[in-house]
Amino acid sequence: MVKVAIYPPNSLILADLIERKGHTPLVLQKQIRQKIKDPEIDSPPMNITEEDPIKGLKYAAIEVPSGVRGRMAIIGPLIDEAEAAIVVDGAPYGFGCIGCARTNELSIFLLRNKDIPVLEVTYPTNQDETYVMVNDINNFIDSLEETKEEE
Amino acid sequence: MSQNLTMSPDLGTEDWDPDVITRMIFIGPGAHVSEQEIVTAFHMLGLPLTIKNTCYGSMISGKSEDVYKAIEEIRKLDPNHIFTKERGFAPGDPRRCRGHRFGPREGFHQMEKEYRILGFVSNALENPKEVEIEEKKPVDVDEFKKIMNDCLDKEE
Repeated sequence: MVKVAIYPPNSLILADLIERKGHTPLVLQKQIRQKIKDPEIDSPPMNITEEDPIKGLKYAAIEVPSGVRGRMAIIGPLIDEAEAAIVVDGAPYGFGCIGCARTNELSIFLLRNKDIPVLEVTYPTNQDETYVMVNDINNFIDSLEETKEEE
Repeated sequence: MSQNLTMSPDLGTEDWDPDVITRMIFIGPGAHVSEQEIVTAFHMLGLPLTIKNTCYGSMISGKSEDVYKAIEEIRKLDPNHIFTKERGFAPGDPRRCRGHRFGPREGFHQMEKEYRILGFVSNALENPKEVEIEEKKPVDVDEFKKIMNDCLDKEE
């Protein structure tokens, strides 16, 4: 079983296609669940605590806005855990759940630099492009299984 | 919009249990099952789950072992049209549920975008085939000039 990071990290289609093949998608919802079930957070609707920007320092420098560091405190552990990654390129503005273009760029940069197999698929707009995306993802996941078996 | 921020949820023991997870079940376009059939199937499994009927399918919450078992069974109804994903908040959580607050639920827009291509994904899973896409290229400058001159000549 391979842990696969996905981008956008809340994607239904990417997570489902990975789960169908018996692997674990690293989705943001699991991180959020950990946050909201943490009894130490006083005000549960405010999910970011003052500790988060400090944790984010592992991924971004101090000059980087605290919003990016706060977000990285949640997304960063997923990137650390990743053994492979699938990234969607060319998505329309606002696609995904992060709400911050710089965090998106930083996360994708960290995934690309992590020395793990990364598949970059183009955001599909019609049936043929969706076929290509699904085929690419299935082939990529099958290749992960083969490399895992070889190891 | 202060109501969205000052919500103070009254959480039960299940809401604090880290082993309790929530999953959303989506029924893609062209599915052979309905939302109600899915919910009935969940009830018939007899597992200790909280099941919520929704417009896109259903939402289930319970111990992770029971949830994964239920999903495995429910996928068998229509493997290519039933999709599932994790959800951080429990069903009806006042911090997310639209019944208690204003505006669309967070995550709705992503769901809306992905639902548009969900039918194509189902087709790709049902009838896998190799497809080649012609890459879109910009028009060559000489060709553009020729077309422009032709059009101008015609007008004259």
